[in-house]
Amino acid sequence: MVANPRAESAAGSARRLNSPAVALVETHFDGSPCAVNRQQVALVREEWRVVDRWWTEQPVDRRYFDVVLASGENAVVFLDGEAQCWFSQRA
Amino acid sequence: MQPGMRLGEALSLCPDLALVEQDPATAEHEWEQLLKRLEDSGFAVEAAAVGCVYFETRGIERLYGGLEPALKRALAAVGAAWDARVGAAERRFAALAAAHVARSGQTVIVSDRKTRDFLAPLPLTLLPVDPERREELEELGVRRLGQLAGLPGAAVAERLGPDGRRAWSLARGEQRGKVRARKVTNELAETLEFPEAVANELTLRRALGALLDRLLSRPERRDRAVRKLALSAKLVGGGSWRRTITLRDATADRDRLRVALGSKLAELPAPVTRLGLELVELAQSVGRQLELVQPEGLELRAHLSEGLKQVRAGAGSGAVCSVVEVAPWSRIPEQRALLVPRDD
Repeated sequence: MVANPRAESAAGSARRLNSPAVALVETHFDGSPCAVNRQQVALVREEWRVVDRWWTEQPVDRRYFDVVLASGENAVVFLDGEAQCWFSQRA
Repeated sequence: MQPGMRLGEALSLCPDLALVEQDPATAEHEWEQLLKRLEDSGFAVEAAAVGCVYFETRGIERLYGGLEPALKRALAAVGAAWDARVGAAERRFAALAAAHVARSGQTVIVSDRKTRDFLAPLPLTLLPVDPERREELEELGVRRLGQLAGLPGAAVAERLGPDGRRAWSLARGEQRGKVRARKVTNELAETLEFPEAVANELTLRRALGALLDRLLSRPERRDRAVRKLALSAKLVGGGSWRRTITLRDATADRDRLRVALGSKLAELPAPVTRLGLELVELAQSVGRQLELVQPEGLELRAHLSEGLKQVRAGAGSGAVCSVVEVAPWSRIPEQRALLVPRDD
């Protein structure tokens, strides 16, 4: 489960550092990303899963990919298993 | 046509109405030329706003043979195209009021003894007060300067505050106010014409860098730091755009000037065909005094605190935050740390 990153926090209140941002990701047949925010993926460096808080009402089920884009930029994206949406985040 | 009229109303009244884009850069340039013509004639001018200038004639009356010839010389320097009106008095406000009642190309001179009588029938709109204060006075039945001047000063101050007290004093013709002539400066300006309209910020930033390089290498600058700059542009629609930037610390550092000016480029309302940069005011000092000992301890904290205060003032409260680790071991990245606003 990912909290809505667009929801504005009240001015002057604490907010989370490194909140996930919605990303536009195109995938291969195996579910690995082939383009992130309209940039081609040159290399998938690493892939891992985070499954946590399954006992709560806000379970976390994410499939992370650490990728290198065609521009040389590094990016980390994940597919949220609950919402079936892609997000980018500094891992 | 009347000022403040809606566009639709104006067009329905006058279908042949020609709409002209605002051109503040040209207006300011023409105004500057006018001020220079006055200065060339020997008048030390204080420009209150575009369209309003004050000058002392005392030092120049002997040159032109009296007050009236001097004022005629000033009118001639301004030129017929400006539809100028001149008012002369011992006090600034009385001179402004005299210019207000004068006809185009005419001079009105108010002697000091008659100032109060001259001001009495004039409207309150001449006073430099908030429209709300003026409305308040009008609701109380005070519509003329003479009526305001006749009220007890303490009562005006109690009702309208310090601004009202000042307006009362002006209406009585009491405040003298000195004319502070501007310093005459050499024009340091550069422009860059584009072969076609440019909206791309990267191109504009490069053009700005080129203009800065040209200006900073001008020998007239004599290594002095820059205090105030004006960035102007001619827009593709025919209008113009101008922003003036006053630096907190005068500098001749190219990168700092680029940062200060670069953010203004984002405010451009349309593609531009010409970009201009002007060094409006230069600092008197040539060098910058460096610190002999590097600040540390309390002094360094004070510098940091001052810097943070400025960031907060510029970007709003909540702009300065501390990172507080709450669960650094968490496998979920956004749960490891929080951004907590600092108000110290």
